[in-house]
Amino acid sequence: MPTMQLREALRAAMTEEMERDENVFVMGEEVAQYNGAYKVTEGMLDRFGPRRIFDTPISESGFAGLGVGSAMVGLRPIIEFMSWSFTLVCLDQIVNNAANVRYMSGGQLKVPIVFRGGNGIAHQLGATHSHRMESIYARIPGLVVVCPSTPADAKGLLKSSIRCDDPVIFLESEKMLNDIGDVPADTEFTLPLGVANVERTGSDVTVISYGRPLQRVVRSAVDALVKEHGIDVELIDLRTLRPLDLPTILASIRKTHRCVIIDEDWGYCGMGSGILYKIQKPAFDDLDAPIEYVHSDEIPVPFNHFLEEAMMPSVDRIVTAVKEVCYR
Amino acid sequence: MSVANEVAIRPAGSNGNGAATANGIAAGPRVTVSESVGQLERDRLRMMMLIRRFEEKTYQEYTKPGQKIGGFCHLYSGQEAIAVGTAALFDKSRDYLITGYRCHGASLAMGMPPRAAMAEMFGKATGCSKGKGGSMHLFDVKVGNLGGHGIVGGQLPLGLGTAFAQWYKKTGGVTFCFMGDGAINQGTFNEALNMASLMKVPCIYVVENNGVAMGTQVERSSAEKDLALRAAGFAMPHYHVDGNDVDTVIAEFGKAVELARKGGGPSYIVADTYRFRGHSMSDAMKYRTREEAEKAKTRDPISLYEMRLLEKKLITQELIEQISEEVAEAVNEAVRQADEDPHPALEDRFNDALAEKYPYQPK
Repeated sequence: MPTMQLREALRAAMTEEMERDENVFVMGEEVAQYNGAYKVTEGMLDRFGPRRIFDTPISESGFAGLGVGSAMVGLRPIIEFMSWSFTLVCLDQIVNNAANVRYMSGGQLKVPIVFRGGNGIAHQLGATHSHRMESIYARIPGLVVVCPSTPADAKGLLKSSIRCDDPVIFLESEKMLNDIGDVPADTEFTLPLGVANVERTGSDVTVISYGRPLQRVVRSAVDALVKEHGIDVELIDLRTLRPLDLPTILASIRKTHRCVIIDEDWGYCGMGSGILYKIQKPAFDDLDAPIEYVHSDEIPVPFNHFLEEAMMPSVDRIVTAVKEVCYR
Repeated sequence: MSVANEVAIRPAGSNGNGAATANGIAAGPRVTVSESVGQLERDRLRMMMLIRRFEEKTYQEYTKPGQKIGGFCHLYSGQEAIAVGTAALFDKSRDYLITGYRCHGASLAMGMPPRAAMAEMFGKATGCSKGKGGSMHLFDVKVGNLGGHGIVGGQLPLGLGTAFAQWYKKTGGVTFCFMGDGAINQGTFNEALNMASLMKVPCIYVVENNGVAMGTQVERSSAEKDLALRAAGFAMPHYHVDGNDVDTVIAEFGKAVELARKGGGPSYIVADTYRFRGHSMSDAMKYRTREEAEKAKTRDPISLYEMRLLEKKLITQELIEQISEEVAEAVNEAVRQADEDPHPALEDRFNDALAEKYPYQPK
């Protein structure tokens, strides 16, 4: 199995799907001649030419809507956003058009489109460029929200997202593109959407996370909990935030009776709050402790490195929360 | 034209659902215009009259006690020549139309049965969108009608996208993307028109300029009073047409269609018109003077077209009256059917949000 960077895994997924289906194309800011702001699409212009991968003006509403319109009539666009934070200027195209036209037309239309790019806090970019958009999109019926945490998952989930007939919000992180991992070379390698991955089985507590927080701190915290505190953690990587894989989560809590959710969102109305709402009632009788939710501080994201670090979940915060639900 | 061809004109006779009207040849008055000559023109007049009648009936249904039409509702009365002129140029096998929330006229002109449109406004299961869209969101995808869209200007990038798909697949099709004069002040106007021209996609942006965005006149919303000039920075043809004259609409829109079909890129056309009704049903139109409204009536697109067809002897007054009765009957029948039609099953509210079943595993 070849080893590659997460950015290369994304590129492989797009390249394979473009070769498989003539209707798949890529557009976004700097994706073609510049080879991608983060070099995800490097070399793809040479390979596919300017009809199938092209640069757009800085017009998020314009090109997001272009994608939706083209998907309504049979194309399968992949739209790269330089940052998911920038989609605040084109929410209408995603929420009102991509997510709603199928329903509003009584099922006459489908919108097979992938919106992808870096999401969340990516180190000293300031408040405007650090939005964690998952809770904005994961609450919208009509959308599918996917968030990979490894290079292999990035490839398998992106390929499934491209083949899916629904609009997919694909949340990457600029801080994960250099991650290295084994990635299946098989061009038919796909991962299901709407299915979580039990990354580590355990019996004491269920820890739920996804994407960047999982990669940045949760895995380290789980290691520490297991090795230093003797707590047998079951770690769930959600992979898909909408639709939520409730059966996998509930089966785990039925076993562990304890649960901690970790993300980098704001707590109030955050992604974890939504997950908590979904599980607290069906899991109530199985729980031996209230569910804990570790999230970022509820402030705009500060520029200063130390302040930024301090606002986010840390290994210490996670260890403390897990010990608390375990009454240890 | 032989004498033998001069026959009583059978009413084009459709109530829009494909069912013949009660008024057949025998019942119709004998007229002395040819069946073959002028049929297209008479059909266009009929469609304009159908739209007008439909909208006036919609007004009645909305305002009468026991109101059956919920939500927002925006009538097309006065703007019929634009929709019908567009339909005359439209190739249903490859063209697309996408518009804003004032979408009843375009939908009927593209062939939506009045019953499907009225049932949608009643929220019925037989509505074009199964009761899930409503007045602002009439869709008829199989004929290329990609919908009414409720957010002002939200459809402009979608039209860019459908035109892009036509370019990408080299279908030779064109997209008509309609907007009101209010939409040109949205940011999407700048983004979509710039990209359409940059990418030379076959999109015809049509401003249905009825002079007022809800209650704010163009003079109060646009720094540039000449709305055609608002597209002067996009390197595409931009011009006004008399949106109340269906022949002019066909001729002038036709130039844009020809340009787009041969790969010459987009156009921007301001079709100047007037809406006889308010912005929506709650609008008392206090921003208008009686004089202005009276003057507009002298430019009623239906009267103008009737006079032209009479002058050209393509129609008779009797036939106009007959058509008027027929469209009234067709609209009444549509209301009657829509009224009887069932509401969607409550369980149906969960359908049509997503196309795939989840968990989703690609084949």
